[in-house]
Amino acid sequence: MRGLTRTVTMVAGISTVALLAAACGGGSGDKATSSSAGGKAGGAVTVRGCNPQNPLIPSNTTETCGGNVLDAITAKLVHYNPETGAPENDIADKIDTTDNQNFTVTIKKGYKFQDGTEVKAKNFVDAWNYAAYGPNAQSSGYFMEPIEGFGDMQCAGTDAEDPCKGFTPKAKTLTGLAVKDDYTFTIKTTEKVSNMPVRLGYSAFSPLPDTFFSDPKAYGEKPVGAGPYKLDSWTKNTEIKLSKFADYSGKFGGKLDAITFKIYQDADAAYTDVQANNLDVTDEVPSSAMIDDKYKTDLPDRNAQKAVGVIQTITFAPVKVDPNYADPKIRQAISMAIDRPTIIKQIFNNTRQPATGWVSPVVDGYKANACGEYCTFDAAKAKAKLDEAGGFKGGKMTIAYNADASHKAWVEATCNSIKGALGVDCVATPVVDFSTFRGNIAAGKQKGMFRTGWQMDYPSIENFLAPIFKTGASSNDGKYSNPEFDKLLTEAAASTDAAQANQKYQEAEALLANDMPAIPMWYSTATFGWSDKVTGVKITAFGTIDFSSLALK
Amino acid sequence: MTEASTIAVSAEAGQPVGGQADEGRSLASDAWRQLKGNPIFWVSVSLITLFVVMALVPQLFTNVDPGAAVLKEARAEPGADAWFGRDIQGYDIYSRTVYGARASILVGVFSTLATVVIGLVMGVLAGYYGGFLDTLVSRVTDIFFAIPLLLGGILFMSTFPNDQNTPYLVVVGKVVLVLSVFGWPSIARLMRSSVLQVKPNDYVQAARALGASPWRIIRSHVMPNALAPVIVVSTINLGVFITAEATLSFLGIGLTPPAVSWGVAISDALVAVRTYPHILLFPSLFLSLAVLAFIMLGDAVRDAFDPKSR
Repeated sequence: MRGLTRTVTMVAGISTVALLAAACGGGSGDKATSSSAGGKAGGAVTVRGCNPQNPLIPSNTTETCGGNVLDAITAKLVHYNPETGAPENDIADKIDTTDNQNFTVTIKKGYKFQDGTEVKAKNFVDAWNYAAYGPNAQSSGYFMEPIEGFGDMQCAGTDAEDPCKGFTPKAKTLTGLAVKDDYTFTIKTTEKVSNMPVRLGYSAFSPLPDTFFSDPKAYGEKPVGAGPYKLDSWTKNTEIKLSKFADYSGKFGGKLDAITFKIYQDADAAYTDVQANNLDVTDEVPSSAMIDDKYKTDLPDRNAQKAVGVIQTITFAPVKVDPNYADPKIRQAISMAIDRPTIIKQIFNNTRQPATGWVSPVVDGYKANACGEYCTFDAAKAKAKLDEAGGFKGGKMTIAYNADASHKAWVEATCNSIKGALGVDCVATPVVDFSTFRGNIAAGKQKGMFRTGWQMDYPSIENFLAPIFKTGASSNDGKYSNPEFDKLLTEAAASTDAAQANQKYQEAEALLANDMPAIPMWYSTATFGWSDKVTGVKITAFGTIDFSSLALK
Repeated sequence: MTEASTIAVSAEAGQPVGGQADEGRSLASDAWRQLKGNPIFWVSVSLITLFVVMALVPQLFTNVDPGAAVLKEARAEPGADAWFGRDIQGYDIYSRTVYGARASILVGVFSTLATVVIGLVMGVLAGYYGGFLDTLVSRVTDIFFAIPLLLGGILFMSTFPNDQNTPYLVVVGKVVLVLSVFGWPSIARLMRSSVLQVKPNDYVQAARALGASPWRIIRSHVMPNALAPVIVVSTINLGVFITAEATLSFLGIGLTPPAVSWGVAISDALVAVRTYPHILLFPSLFLSLAVLAFIMLGDAVRDAFDPKSR
């Protein structure tokens, strides 16, 4: 369930910039996506941080606050290049497969954890087993789902609140993982997975040192990884200090000696500090500074904006929960009644791009205009479509959102747009906070429409389709089920040729336009601001700071 | 001031003060004479009348629907099309501000009425009967006094949040309830001390000697003479309640959209404060004027009722 919280708040950093320069078109273009390269080595900078939700365990961190820190600390098998977006081997020497189902991973020798021990095959297998084991309740555990034996490690107790209560899963380890020797292990998946190597750069797949297993709690306070920076101290609610790891042997080290995450509760405060040169980089520009691009005059030549792998959608409640929206024609009518460009201009100050499909343009396999005319505002056509469907029978439409993040403005504007075009009353309905909101959706209590967002876990078209729209998938909030769609996804996953797989995924995406399980709204962008002191600020496709290029002037 | 006809001549007011020897003037009629000549009184009364009319029939002031959003013209500056400009959603600010008066006035008036009623009853009971009842009421007021009005409001409103389907009057009712629950003790204390002051007077003793029932004594002798400070304080309180309502709405826990209120408007305007301050200006201005009007009225009335200030 990655990526459904606040506006863009989530995850660890990955980058797929390759397509961006070509695909993002409008906005600030590629010129502004980074400040000039270079800068001297060494020195210390401060960047905006926020309070991690959970202890800093890679497999239990699904939000940016903790993810940004872990990203600098950990090294994974695969690293996503911030320039080209291609996955590059980091710890992995090679990942071999012939059938997309059996993978042999060989890791490089000489990688060290920050506690001095060497990274071995066992560290990966143990870490993944820990993440997958149900009673450990790791929020990223579902990433291990494709690996054989995952099902037997899950809780299936009778307690509705906690299925792990009084229940011990059949297995404690994944049968699909096997250590061959210190530097080789194999992965066997339940079904064919064409993009397995791409997925392995996600933070949940980080190796964990042996010390972790003796005391996970202590590890959560002071995580140890094999990445370019190590954690020195973490003062709760104040700051997290990192310093350069001297024995880092990978290719993706940074220039800085120390990075301090200063924890802010409020984006405005961080922004003001950047203006005053008290903070070096903020990865969030508050909406007060977004209006009329005020930040561009506040921070001349010290700002950048880039598209990130996030899409916002409006999902319809499952037909069983709310039959009023069952007719695809009604759904298409609503989609056509939303004036995306105007909302983006007036509410988001052009920091979004109107969505033309269900997949973010930053990923490999993206095809523009999958949604076609249904995602283009046309009040007359929308009204005609609604009349064709026999009008809306539910009285008034509702769009629910979580009130603990800044969604109110756009939901209200969207409702006003629908009201104006269709003549049906539409109400923006706040739900007190994110967890209640998600709880209502999961329990099938949320009627009408509700906002959903997806931030990619790894840069692949598959990540925007399978977890959200496949029958029974973990984030299939609208309980969408289409056998033809599922079939195409399975075929694509089995395909050994990337281009062929992408084509199948695109065919599957095209099916969504007929059924409209969710309305694509827009793709997000991240906006950064930085102080006079730093250079080489780059935004990754996740909207995170690229620490390998960040340096002092 | 409807009590004018029933107010008896009080001990102090009845005596010729400073050479004013007019016979048969009650405290209230004296106060009225004083008020009539006070320009502040007239300014505040006309403002209050304006806001009350605005709350009752907003259609008199604008024919623009406050819910009609023109997103394309969002954040427009004041102009001929929209007198006060448009806000972030493209709503007409003038229309929103006019319609927003209703919530504030409703909350202000009803909270004041409720606090006065509860406070009066409690204060009179405590002051007139004394003894155990007095101790009980006084301790209860102490307990409520220990909780600041705004903190209590935040606690209450976040424990019982509104949702979209809550009817307008229930939303307003909740705010009124919480403000009354935490606002009555000051009135009760004031009334109690006022009653204690009036009770030993000769005319009260005389009435008792003549065999009047406690109810009659309270109604026709104690109340009219002890009411003045309560009237003054509750008029000022009315302004305070309007501010408290706006504060709660600003925090997102008082009135919630689609209800239109000044507090909500101010809260929505905050993101644009650096770039389009006019969105914030108009609801704030109206809020300040309304509060100011009630406080000025309270001030004028206090001056009129207080013989010492003449």
